[in-house]
Amino acid sequence: MRVLGLYVERDTPVHKLAPFTKLMYAVTSTVVTFLFPSITVGILFLVLSVFLNTIARVLKHLIALLMVVSVLSISIFLIQGMFYVGNYTPLFSLLRLTFYKEGLLRAVVLVLRLFNMISAFGILMLTTRPSDLIDDLVRRGLSPNVGYVIASVLQIVPQMLSTATRIIDAQRSRGLEMNGSFHKRFKAFLALIGPLVLGSLLEARERALALEIRGFEARTKRTFLKDFSESKR
Amino acid sequence: MGSTEKIKIESLTYAYPFSDKNALENISFSIMPGECVGIIGRNGAGKSTLCLALTGLVPKFFKGRYSGKVLLDGEDVRQISYEKLVTKIGLVLQNPFSQITGARITVYEEVAFGLENLGIPRDEIKQRVEAVLKALDLWEKRDENPFELSGGQLQKLAIASVLVLQPEVLVLDEPTSQLDPGETKEVFEIISQMKSQGITIVLVEHKYEMLVEYVDKIIFLQEGKMIAFDEAEKIFSLPEIDEYMVGEPIYTKLCKKLNLKNSRGYYPVKFSEAVGILREARCGSDR
Amino acid sequence: MDLIVKVENLWFSYKSGKFVLKNINVSFDGVSTAIVGQNGAAKTTFVKILKGLLKPTMGDVWINGVNTKETTVAQLAKVVGLVFQDPSEQIFKSKVIDEVMFGPLNIFRDKQYSYQMAIEALKLVGLDGKVNEHPYDLTLSERKLLCIASVLAMDPKVVIFDEPTIAQDRYHIKKIGELVLELEKNGKTVIAITHDMDFVFDYFKRTLVLHRGNLLVDGKTDEILQREDVLKAAGLDTPYIFKISSSVGTVISKLFPI
Repeated sequence: MRVLGLYVERDTPVHKLAPFTKLMYAVTSTVVTFLFPSITVGILFLVLSVFLNTIARVLKHLIALLMVVSVLSISIFLIQGMFYVGNYTPLFSLLRLTFYKEGLLRAVVLVLRLFNMISAFGILMLTTRPSDLIDDLVRRGLSPNVGYVIASVLQIVPQMLSTATRIIDAQRSRGLEMNGSFHKRFKAFLALIGPLVLGSLLEARERALALEIRGFEARTKRTFLKDFSESKR
Repeated sequence: MGSTEKIKIESLTYAYPFSDKNALENISFSIMPGECVGIIGRNGAGKSTLCLALTGLVPKFFKGRYSGKVLLDGEDVRQISYEKLVTKIGLVLQNPFSQITGARITVYEEVAFGLENLGIPRDEIKQRVEAVLKALDLWEKRDENPFELSGGQLQKLAIASVLVLQPEVLVLDEPTSQLDPGETKEVFEIISQMKSQGITIVLVEHKYEMLVEYVDKIIFLQEGKMIAFDEAEKIFSLPEIDEYMVGEPIYTKLCKKLNLKNSRGYYPVKFSEAVGILREARCGSDR
Repeated sequence: MDLIVKVENLWFSYKSGKFVLKNINVSFDGVSTAIVGQNGAAKTTFVKILKGLLKPTMGDVWINGVNTKETTVAQLAKVVGLVFQDPSEQIFKSKVIDEVMFGPLNIFRDKQYSYQMAIEALKLVGLDGKVNEHPYDLTLSERKLLCIASVLAMDPKVVIFDEPTIAQDRYHIKKIGELVLELEKNGKTVIAITHDMDFVFDYFKRTLVLHRGNLLVDGKTDEILQREDVLKAAGLDTPYIFKISSSVGTVISKLFPI
């Protein structure tokens, strides 16, 4: 994986929307479902988000994301269904466990909220390049330094992983055992962490020089190569 | 009008913070516009520090004890505004990997980065990026992720990212150290291109055989001090070269062993000249 | 002579499926050997396999009679040492002596013996005067020598160098070359990956040329490095020594015996 993130390359109207717009949609839809804990509101937004995901042709990916929280969702149903304080009306029993109506309804609201949040942010994550999102935020006032830090972390973390592999190789070549007792593995950890951290710091310093050379601290108004307002409808 | 030196260094002395040794001591020299100057010396001689001083990064980034002056077109490098400095002088470092910003995911955007920072209008950015990518034979790779490139291509990318800012001076610190012979040749060809465009070039290199074919003069550093600043053949004929074990082009070493000098009284440093002299010598005494 | 390293019908691919090394058959036995090739010829992959860090996809590698598939990297470290390219991806102790003792302690366990081996190794590379210094107070070239010492201290029979001359000045290239000769004299099998053709010519008796995972040629350095056709096919250059020879018309190499 070369870049961290969930971006899926496609050419759809949703992809062309300004990142900031998508961010606002995600935030709004999440906030609304929290403010109005009704099942109707939840379903409304969920349908809207799924619709947008479909237009963006990333529905498959969204479902994969939702699967991730499937276990969580099931446990919400179980816990709320059985132990919610407002439980009063028993609905059915399974294996000598009683599930109540109030709890289950509440569970539906909670799970809808969860799915909603994931679907709405899913649109953002699946159809927006992280670097574009950061660019848009920087254009609207986010400090370029903060923006740079976030953007570079996404690429540099995978890089660090390959450096880590090389360090492990070098230390194993000197007889370092990777498996075994806790003591052994702790030793291994130290032999890895030292060069990794130091190497990263040294590299960060060189990269900072490179940024400096390329005018990063210029106080002129920056140009944005990509202009999303052009493609906004 | 006054002095026309592109770069002028006056009694530059510098020590890194927490260091009691001077990294550079009393360095003085001038470089004229369009000249191509090499810097040689053992590791630790101060070559990289000198590169950083030329661009003002020493002392801006590195603090430490600094005295003397570095002048670009007559102006002290510490006084030139950042925006102006960035378009006046560029620096390419040794390690191809740590010169990518990491914030851009295509080669095209990576090269455009510097221009975006400077607020250059979008159309001009597109023009300049395309020109530089084509000149360095990277246009085909413009949509690739920088991290997917090989070492040699990355180094070309680093050069492209700096060239796009159209600096008048380009400093390169061992640009070919991580590259194989083919990639090394490519980089030197780019340097040759830039030379013909009138860019003033300062180049630190250990690959002497290639270096001497491109530079007008060489600065020879040892332990922070400038031992000499002269034409290549004069430099490599100095006794200090042997004394400090700096090395020399292989055929120069050969001529030294055979005590064969050229018509000006120096050991030849260019390949064609050395071959000529060796041929003559061979005709004199046949094996 | 004992065949310390034997490679039989080696094929290797990473998970993606394409073979990066194809049908390699070669043995090593005490003659200093250089493996040359363009960046991307899979040279580093090859030595990683010799070191046991990667296992052959097909074929076998025998180190001192032991098949690398049947042992661990740590076990192999007793016989095969590999000096990696980047010192900063290895150094983690705060004293030179501790860094060099790290390897020996792992395989010999005995502190006294490890210390002895470390000091000897430091003497061999010329760093015995800097025993208590912090590795990052050394120059870049000295750190490379430090890494070499930390491998030599484990007293391996086979010593592999991955691009030893990168970023080195001429003086240290010579020093490393002389070290190669010294190791060969002491009976070690030295293998070096490099694309510095002049370095190969000066210090290695045997040369292997790799190109896109194939072994193009294997033979005496003298002969191989003169074959412009082979070197060109592999994306390499002839050493300057031969460039001069062919231009001048004399066998100049007679003036620079190995």
